[in-house]
Amino acid sequence: MWQQIAEIYLYREMLRNLVARELRARYKGSVLGFLWTFFNPLFMLVVYSAVFSHVMRVQVENYAMFLFVALLPWNYLAQSVQQAAASLVQNAGLVKKIYFPRAVLPLSVVLANLFNYLFGLGILIPALLAFKIRLTPALLAFPAVLFVQTLLVAALALLVAVGNVYFRDLEHIVGIALMAWFFLTPVLYPLEAIPAEVRGYFLLNPMTPIVDAYRALFFYGAWPDWGQLWRTGLGGLAALLLALAGFTRWQRAVAEEI
Amino acid sequence: MDAIEVVDVWKKFRIYHDRVYSLKERFIFPYRQKAEDFWALKGVSLSVPRGATVGLIGRNGSGKSTLLKIISRILYPNRGRVRVHGRVSTLLELGAGFHPDFTGRENIYLNASILGLTRREINGRLEKIIDFAELGDFIDNPVRNYSSGMYMRLGFAVAVHVDPDILLIDEVLAVGDLPFQEKCLKKIREFKERGTTIVFVTHAPKQVAELCDHALWLDRGEVRLQGPAAEVARAYADFVGGAG
Repeated sequence: MWQQIAEIYLYREMLRNLVARELRARYKGSVLGFLWTFFNPLFMLVVYSAVFSHVMRVQVENYAMFLFVALLPWNYLAQSVQQAAASLVQNAGLVKKIYFPRAVLPLSVVLANLFNYLFGLGILIPALLAFKIRLTPALLAFPAVLFVQTLLVAALALLVAVGNVYFRDLEHIVGIALMAWFFLTPVLYPLEAIPAEVRGYFLLNPMTPIVDAYRALFFYGAWPDWGQLWRTGLGGLAALLLALAGFTRWQRAVAEEI
Repeated sequence: MDAIEVVDVWKKFRIYHDRVYSLKERFIFPYRQKAEDFWALKGVSLSVPRGATVGLIGRNGSGKSTLLKIISRILYPNRGRVRVHGRVSTLLELGAGFHPDFTGRENIYLNASILGLTRREINGRLEKIIDFAELGDFIDNPVRNYSSGMYMRLGFAVAVHVDPDILLIDEVLAVGDLPFQEKCLKKIREFKERGTTIVFVTHAPKQVAELCDHALWLDRGEVRLQGPAAEVARAYADFVGGAG
C-alpha cells in the first residue's frame, strides 16, 4: 500500500492533468465557459433565498445562507462520490491499455470537485457579506475542516470506484444512499432540531460534525468543536488508509472485469 | 542482469455465459452465475536480457498479448512471478486519454503524463515530440479536427519519447502512411542501438526475423519454441504455411 502511495505521487502530473481536463472540459465550448463554475452556486443561492424568504418561511434567521454554507460542502461530497463511482468504468479504454496507478482516476474526481467547492467560496463569501453576516477569525479553521472532509471523501471515492467495477448497479445504489444520507445530516436543519434522545446517533454520522463545523465558522462566526473535529479527522484518516488497502487489493483484476 | 523475468506464469480468464453484473441480481440469484475457466497462459517462462529485442509470435488467441499485458502490469498473473527492472512504456494503444476538444499540444501533456512523465520531462521533450509528429500548425488545433493518421502520429510521437528502459509493442506498427511507418521502424532500431530492451508482439515472421534477437513462439498459452529469432521465425512460417 505504501508503494501505491509513492506511485500515486510519481503520477502527480497525470493527476493534475486529469483534474484540469475535468474542470476545463466541463464547460469548454459553452459561451460563458469557466464562469459557469461560479454561476452554478450563484443560481442555487438566488433560488434558495427567493424560496425561503418569500414562499416557505423558516424559523431560522437568514435561512438561505444557513443552508448555503452547508450545501456547498455537501455537494462536494455527493458529486465526488457519485462521479467517482463511474470513474474506472468510464475510463475502461485507458485502464485496459495502459498501466498507471488506478487510484489516480477516482482521486482526480475528488480533486476536481474540491476545486469546484473552492470556486464556490467566491460566491459564498460575498453573499455572506451581502446578508450582513459577520466574518470572524474563525474562518482560519476552514482549511482544517476541509482537510478532514477530504480524507473522508477520498476514502469513499476509492471504495465506490472499485466496487462499481464488480457491481455495476452500485452507481445507482450510491445515488439513493447519498439522498438518504443528505436528510440524515443536518444540512437542511440545525443539529439542535434533532430530539436530544437520538442526537447521539446522528453524531455517529461523520458528516454531522463536518457540516456543523462549516456552519460554525461561516455562519455563526464561531470556532468549530475541535475535539469533535479531531476525532472525525482520525476516523477519516483510518478510513482512507483502509480504503487504499482495499483498493490496492481489488484493483488488480480491474482491467479484465471492466 | 535480466531486464524482464517471467517465471512459470499462469493466467486464467473467466468466460461468463450469463454475466451477473449487478448486486441486485447476485442477491436474488446467488447461484445463477455460470463461468468457465480459460487458461490463456499455462506456465510460460521468459527472460529478456537487458538491451535485447524479443519477438512474441503466435496465432490469434495464443496468449501473446496477454503476456505483454502481464509484463506491463495491466493484468496480474494467477500464478507465477514477473519481475521488471526499469521504466516500462507500453505501446498498446496510441493517443490514450486524448481529449477531442483539447489541442494537440495540450494532449501531449495529458497523454505523456498518463504514460508517467513529470511536467519537467514533458517540457524538455515537447519540441522533439512536435517535430516527430509532423503536424505543422495543426499542433494548436483541437484533436477533433485531426485525421486518423494525424491522431496516430501524435500518439506514437508521445509514446516513443517516453524514453523507456523497456519498450513493449503490440502490433501498432501498422499505423500511418508508408513513410511514417518507416520512420517508426527507424525509431525502433534507434531504440535498439541505444540499448533499450524491446518486447514485440506480432504474427508476422518477417518482422521477427528483421528486428529481433530472440523469439518466443506461443501456441494456446504454451511455449512452442524459444530461441534465436531467425530460427523461430522460420519454424513458425513453415508451420503457418503448412497449416494454411
